[in-house]
Amino acid sequence: MSPVNDRPSMPVTASDLELLRKFEPVVCYTKGEQFYPAAVEDYIHECSLWDHQPDGHDVQLVRQGDLSMEKLIESRPAGFGSVRYLRFIEPLSLAESAQVLADQLLLRRKLGDYFHAGIGRLARGGILPRLLDGLFSLSFLLRGRVSAATAAAAELDYNAMLAENRKHTYYGRVTRQNGWTMLQYWYFFCFNSWRSGFHGVNDHESDWEMVTIYMYEQDGQLIPEWAAYASHDFKGDDLRRRWDDHDELKKVEQSHPVVYAGAGSHASYFRRGEYQAEVSLPMPGWFSGLIRSWNKLWTEMLGQPAIGTIHIPFVDFARGDGLRLGTGGHEPWSPVLIDESTAWVSQFRGLWGLFARDPISGENAPAGPMYNRDGTPRGSWYDPLGFAGLDKVPPPPQMQKMLAENCDLLSRRQEELQDLIPRKAGELQAKGARQKGMEGNPHLSRQYAALEKEINSLSTEVRNLRREVSENTALLQGLGRRLEQLGAGRQDDPHAHIRHMAVPDDPTQVLRFDRAAETWAAVSLSLLLFAIAALVFFAPGYIWAGLAIILILFVVAESFLRGAFVQTVGRITLLLAMITALILLVHFWKWVIVGALVVMGISLMIQRLRELTG
Amino acid sequence: MAKRRKRDKKKRPIPITVIAVAIVALFLIRLYQVFEPLVRNQVFLHGITGPLTTGWKLTALGSAFLSSAIYLLLSLAGIVVLIAFLRLRRWSWVILMAWTGVSMVISLVDYFYGRPNYAVMISNVIIAFALNINEVQAIFGIRSSDVPSQ
Repeated sequence: MSPVNDRPSMPVTASDLELLRKFEPVVCYTKGEQFYPAAVEDYIHECSLWDHQPDGHDVQLVRQGDLSMEKLIESRPAGFGSVRYLRFIEPLSLAESAQVLADQLLLRRKLGDYFHAGIGRLARGGILPRLLDGLFSLSFLLRGRVSAATAAAAELDYNAMLAENRKHTYYGRVTRQNGWTMLQYWYFFCFNSWRSGFHGVNDHESDWEMVTIYMYEQDGQLIPEWAAYASHDFKGDDLRRRWDDHDELKKVEQSHPVVYAGAGSHASYFRRGEYQAEVSLPMPGWFSGLIRSWNKLWTEMLGQPAIGTIHIPFVDFARGDGLRLGTGGHEPWSPVLIDESTAWVSQFRGLWGLFARDPISGENAPAGPMYNRDGTPRGSWYDPLGFAGLDKVPPPPQMQKMLAENCDLLSRRQEELQDLIPRKAGELQAKGARQKGMEGNPHLSRQYAALEKEINSLSTEVRNLRREVSENTALLQGLGRRLEQLGAGRQDDPHAHIRHMAVPDDPTQVLRFDRAAETWAAVSLSLLLFAIAALVFFAPGYIWAGLAIILILFVVAESFLRGAFVQTVGRITLLLAMITALILLVHFWKWVIVGALVVMGISLMIQRLRELTG
Repeated sequence: MAKRRKRDKKKRPIPITVIAVAIVALFLIRLYQVFEPLVRNQVFLHGITGPLTTGWKLTALGSAFLSSAIYLLLSLAGIVVLIAFLRLRRWSWVILMAWTGVSMVISLVDYFYGRPNYAVMISNVIIAFALNINEVQAIFGIRSSDVPSQ
């Protein structure tokens, strides 16, 4: 049986809307989620339109209540360096802020839909990740940010909108490229409350998320082959899963892929769980080299774990225990078709919410589905194949044909080479014989040198041709095996294309951290700062020694609570031993050299004497 | 001639012997530190000639006694750890590593404040590196000998 027989399909004649409805995802949210997919018209009606000028001033273009879809796309000239943006929540006074925060509490009590982070968020990272977390929190003192009152007001306004018109919209787009038919599902949210609601990285007004299904045509039917979910920190091949990867890609009624949305962030995941963000810090080349050298010494010589990526304690809670939207869920979808001709999609290049002046953009609102924040076209819109690393992958029916074509091409080249190489090799031998005849004739030295040059060049050519034959043979074998595999209907490992897979935290590992570890994780950074302050105040003369001792004590305490006391003590002692050894080497280098020479001398002497007497 | 009997006991690896020797060296240094303050205060010649405390503060003689007592305790503890270490007890590896770490911190602080004790530093470095050897850790059950550490 062909592996695609168990897949759902739609006739190629089906309308775009029929296609979208047939495969629309089921999105599972986390209990306590505050914002669900909404209709852009309702949102726009609640917004004002602004221009942020290069001189730092903000100019209101359309007031809240007056804005419509038509006014949004009206042509308005803007200078270089200006930023056009929508504003969902107008600036709040102190009294208004207090009021909305109080109202938010009442609303949550009324909804009774609470989120509990549970034990283990902070304790998942060590002291260094928590230090980074602390620095990140402090960075908001310098960066632009969306206030907690804005988040609260957004939640209240969104709930009012929902009460008036309860529907959950997705914006569907169907596009075709290189033999693939792609169904894109765009979800619009009024607000991203990851930081204020779920201890995450950022908050911003409005949010766009996207899921794409890639289909190919066979016998007049469109068959799904891949699904790609937009997610943090992942790109290209890592974003997609094959339709028959049942471990990763869950389906409802065989045709509706299940998406687990991150609480507040709305990022999409294939599996339910809690995902810890990971960052590879951008480092200059020389520093990376230093880390590599250190790892060589630390890992290969001393058997310790290498320094790698740093886990930061921001967790994306994609538990899937809240509202489910779509087939078999709590509420249905309201689909709306979009494409380049949809005016608000293509003609509004501004931000879909507050421009918070955050230099690293985390708190600035995103642009629409077609554009990036800077107004340039969004890759996932104009190159949906490249977005999921599928630009190099032909649809399955074409794969076999392309492989066969490649084989034919190579076979023809091999035949050519089989004919060419003996001719060239014979030519080379003839030239060699002629050169031999010139030897011992000084008057032929010029011709000899010219012939030698020709021989060298021909020799290189023959060697390259022979190498090509050898390489082509190997390639043909590989292509043949692949063709045979496809002919037999054997599929690749569904994870073969993934280099970095998003894996939720192991729940048993999370539960390992008890209340004491979590409490320590919450207060340790502050305690460390207090201890340093006390040191500066009471013993300024011992600042460096004191600092080192305090840090060591904190790391040891941390390791004790994390159940890694033995390993940590070993590592710290080893590190101190390396420092001490370096000091000793600086002081006693002469003795070290003398000692090494004496030991080598004795060892050599013993070996030689053994040889002599043995 | 009687056939030589095979030893049924496992042979002790060289690094463990090296560590044991280094511990003995440290023990001797500590022993010197037990007696040195007392000798300096001529306790062995004239006995206790003055008070050990004045109010809540220690006198020079009191400090010498306290320091001797601490080093004596450390030396005695060292003997216990050494015996356990030679009997390949896991806890002795952990205590020895922690102890070496603490000792290294003290010797580094002393070094940076102009009071270096190179003999202690050398002993500590030898012990720390020897304790980290895979074979030694495997014997004490700290990590398996064939699986790289995590």
